[in-house]
Amino acid sequence: MEIKKLLFVTKFEELCYDALNSLLSLRQANLDHVVFLNVIERDKVAMKRGSGYLKEEEVKLKETANIRFIDWAENLFELGMEVGAYIEVSSLISEILRVIEKEKPDLVVIGRSHKGTLEQLYSRSDITDLTRRVKIPILVFKHMLEDKVVPEEIFRRPLLATSWSSSSEAAVNCLKGLSGVIGQLHVMHVVSEKDLKSSDTHEVQKVRKYERKRLDDLCDAFEEAGIDARPHVYVGDPEKEILKAAKEYQASMVILGTSERNAMLERWMGSISRNIADKSVYPCLLFPSEK
Amino acid sequence: MSKKVLVVDDDPDVRSFVVTVLEENGYIPLVAHDGVEGLEKIQADQPDLVILDVLMPRGSGIRLYRHLKTDEALKDLPVIMFTGIALRSFLKSQKALEEFNGEVPKPDIYLEKPVEPEELVRAIETKIG
Repeated sequence: MEIKKLLFVTKFEELCYDALNSLLSLRQANLDHVVFLNVIERDKVAMKRGSGYLKEEEVKLKETANIRFIDWAENLFELGMEVGAYIEVSSLISEILRVIEKEKPDLVVIGRSHKGTLEQLYSRSDITDLTRRVKIPILVFKHMLEDKVVPEEIFRRPLLATSWSSSSEAAVNCLKGLSGVIGQLHVMHVVSEKDLKSSDTHEVQKVRKYERKRLDDLCDAFEEAGIDARPHVYVGDPEKEILKAAKEYQASMVILGTSERNAMLERWMGSISRNIADKSVYPCLLFPSEK
Repeated sequence: MSKKVLVVDDDPDVRSFVVTVLEENGYIPLVAHDGVEGLEKIQADQPDLVILDVLMPRGSGIRLYRHLKTDEALKDLPVIMFTGIALRSFLKSQKALEEFNGEVPKPDIYLEKPVEPEELVRAIETKIG
């Protein structure tokens, strides 16, 4: 799978040109086309008692967005890339879905969800909504740490956390096409404590050996595709261990397959990929299941 | 007989402005919302002139301009670029694309938005009378 065209969804506060710039290494893997999308939430221009529909506010917000997009587009056009832009008054998820339908991008880039915990519990986060409704990878971008510095090249040292699911397999298939882009890939699997059949040392070592062999085979496949890959087995709570590994190996990004749980179960119990995408400091590349 | 002018622009306000200017000056306006629709209308309606934006969804004016200038049947169709993208960036983009796809002539008329109606009319008259 190639990433030739990406959809860059921005509200400008959380995702700016520096974030886009850090993705331009994907040009070595045939990225040629960027589509910008700015969605002005309806409540910003909605009918208010006494003032009616805020047409002037809509025009002002659209023009502000247009000026930013023109500036960004000029940079990309000068590199010989193709650029498109949408500025719409709408609701975020429905507009993203509409543009995906029209433009058929290979990757969606979006900032972290701004909904609070309670709001997410009842209405789900934007990220969860998107991962359930699109069949292409989603990069949840964020400024790392408090100083809001964007990593210069987020594909320089990514961490792939595989659960051996079909969505993890989709991630592997895509990453194999990024040999000129990825610096060093760390590949990990977390054995959860419930999967350790007994606390006997011998049994635990057997599980570790089995998982390590699977990871070795996967890393061999990456190396055949021209990607330097290092395997790691962790044991414990998957969410905590993935974040621990990301810190230990100074990951520039975490790559995960999305949960295949049903929607109700996921809403109340959460999912590892959603929790990491929503809460961690790392940019997260989420792959939906190919099934 | 009135001449047909195709306006390719995704911004409804800009389309409306250009259509009004065209109608008031005796031209027949045609409209397209993006690069893909623009090419379809050029092939179907055979306009006498195209007024072309650059930054649009579904195919930019940069690629459409290149397509027109490298197509044997369309290369003589007059084009006025009418856009917020600076000429400097437009020329640099063409230069970057030339490395792979060959050279195309520079646009004769490049108008940076916004323009007064008189300036637009002068540009149109220069190309098609």
